[in-house]
Amino acid sequence: MWTQRGDWFKALADQGGWDIPKWPKEFGGPDFTPTQRYIFDLEMGKQPTPPQLPFGVGMLAPILMNYGSKAQQDRFLPGIRDGSVNWCQGYSEPGAGSDLANLKTKAELSADGSHYVVNGQKIWTTLAQIAHWIFCLTRTSSDGAKQEGITFLLIPMDDPGVEVRPIITLGGSHSVNEVYFTDVKVPIENRVGEEGKGWTYAKGLLAHERSGLAGIQNSVMGLEKAKRNAQKIRVGAGTLLDLSSFKNKVGVLEAELLALEFTEMRTLARVAAGGDPGPESAILKLKGTEIQQRITELNLEAAGVFAAPWGAEAFGPDFAHGAAQSYLGGRATTIYGGASEVQKDVIAKNVLGLS
Amino acid sequence: MDLAYTTEQDMLAESIQRFIATEYDLSNRKNLVASDLGYSAQHWQTFAALGWLGMSIPEAYGGLGGDLVDTMIMFEEFGKGLVLEPTLSSLVLFAGALELAGSEEQKHHYLPALGAGDLTGCLAYIEAGEPTNFNCVATTAQKTDDYYQLNGTKSVVLNAASADVLLISARTEGQEADARGISLFLVPRDSDGLSRKDYPTVDGLRASEVLLDKVRVPASALVGAEGAASETLNAVINRGILAISAEAVGAMAVLYQSTIDYTKQRVQFDHPLSEFQVVKHRLTEMFIEYNLAKSLCMKATMLLNQNSGDAQRHIHALKFLIGKTSRFVGQNAVQLHGGMGMTEDLAIAHYFKRLMMIDATFGHTDIHLDAFVQ
Repeated sequence: MWTQRGDWFKALADQGGWDIPKWPKEFGGPDFTPTQRYIFDLEMGKQPTPPQLPFGVGMLAPILMNYGSKAQQDRFLPGIRDGSVNWCQGYSEPGAGSDLANLKTKAELSADGSHYVVNGQKIWTTLAQIAHWIFCLTRTSSDGAKQEGITFLLIPMDDPGVEVRPIITLGGSHSVNEVYFTDVKVPIENRVGEEGKGWTYAKGLLAHERSGLAGIQNSVMGLEKAKRNAQKIRVGAGTLLDLSSFKNKVGVLEAELLALEFTEMRTLARVAAGGDPGPESAILKLKGTEIQQRITELNLEAAGVFAAPWGAEAFGPDFAHGAAQSYLGGRATTIYGGASEVQKDVIAKNVLGLS
Repeated sequence: MDLAYTTEQDMLAESIQRFIATEYDLSNRKNLVASDLGYSAQHWQTFAALGWLGMSIPEAYGGLGGDLVDTMIMFEEFGKGLVLEPTLSSLVLFAGALELAGSEEQKHHYLPALGAGDLTGCLAYIEAGEPTNFNCVATTAQKTDDYYQLNGTKSVVLNAASADVLLISARTEGQEADARGISLFLVPRDSDGLSRKDYPTVDGLRASEVLLDKVRVPASALVGAEGAASETLNAVINRGILAISAEAVGAMAVLYQSTIDYTKQRVQFDHPLSEFQVVKHRLTEMFIEYNLAKSLCMKATMLLNQNSGDAQRHIHALKFLIGKTSRFVGQNAVQLHGGMGMTEDLAIAHYFKRLMMIDATFGHTDIHLDAFVQ
């Protein structure tokens, strides 16, 4: 077993870039084919391996590779890869949730063109409290369509003008934050790509983020775990899993998961054949997150009244202590990364041609 | 059939609404949740003075002699305010069991004090062996001469830490899951051998694991006939189901209304969310499902009030439907509030958590659906 998460990622790196399975070869990645990557994800999903924060490796890195300067790639990619630099994502704002392009955080170019001055507020910023840097969408122009005039900036979190305020979410956990910018000076070399093109860069990333949120393999394992949990709960002469009303729900979920797994395979086959994953990736996010939530409901039911104790000490069956937390926290999955209602709009508009 | 409330019942609902409007905003509630007691002793006295504690206690014992409809009205209003005070444990369950099975002496001793707010009690009936079955009792009560000795562990006992007296189910004969052989005992909180592990609950209430190690109570502590407590437990749990179902109805009313209010003012894509048809329809569905749940809550209350033979079936149907509807209304309230619905700063989160635990209390949806279709 790996005692340190660092050892684990080093061991993966020693395999030839397995710590960065999605990165292309020129940046040290393993150059997996889509099929190899699917198999890799599948096998990794079966083991309780230490998670990697997605913001740097999965979200920012592809943007830097595609749109960043050589200097930016050399400066930021090593810290992203070895995990020494934590990143967070500054997209959503109080007035820009589902309507992300409505963002207002302002970046004004200085008269000498050497830096931007950033003022505004981001919200729902995951793990901003441990981040060294934030990658941000900012508004540099209000002319034209609101998707235009958005610029992609990299801002250090230790700037005195950056303030992080925690948001305590359903279930009492602190993972998201508000981030305030007051006259933060961002040197021009921290702009990724061209001014006013940030939306285009981020949009590609959103599709990327979306397909990663389906968590199908986690759900397959999670459902098996939920069944084992239900078998620990006595109901009459049998267990909760024998109760027809409960068992039917498990069966429905299992059938839907089988279908969703193969939907992912179909998407993969298209990518493997050189196609685009396309807006159908919205199906994976939409159904995948719904299924994740329903699995948390099964555990919650199995935990029953033992989901109630909210102190440090656990009572009742071993899984009960985390059951409410998972159910409550899991409500966010159909909200973040594009709410389910938005995903349906994506499918309706881009797949079905319903404008 | 007259489904209108009486003038007194309307006044009861209004007086609770006034109390909640002035005393029970989210920040006051948060302070109470964080306090030592977990609720307000002062509010408890107010409840007594306004007649809410004595509402369901018979007039012969100093109460107002109200019926289950009165209880339903009260809990619906308590649900709107997410009231923390131990009305369920002390009045519906503890006083209810005494009223149904207690001796005259026990009733005279406890019921007036409960109604006056001088005393609180709780019911310890859950065990880890089979938490959804109140007949599954491994805790034993052995009779020796003129006292009983109790040994065992009761789980998730609501308000045990603040209760003066615990009413505890223990087995005087038979096997672990037998309906026969269960007895109820009045056990003072400071009894030798009784210890507790207290904890806050996810929905802001308090509960405890209660450990009984050679706890001795006199024979006079027995409530009802020895070995015959299953029926009493069933009856008070039915009342408890009605009470928390009404509480859920009240909580859902607040949730769908605040979601309507929020979507009217939240603008995305240059329009209030409430103008999007998908949102309109979702809000409408929340309203429809809420109304069905409320209807069944009223019907089950009326049937149990009349001691109808059909009441038990309706109670199973009700507890199932309340759980299902609570999830639908609660989940959509959070979803339509977006990220805001996930924050502890908004009341939504607190209603959502209470509804989650109402579903788990007295058996969740699947347990009752299964019992209903049997």
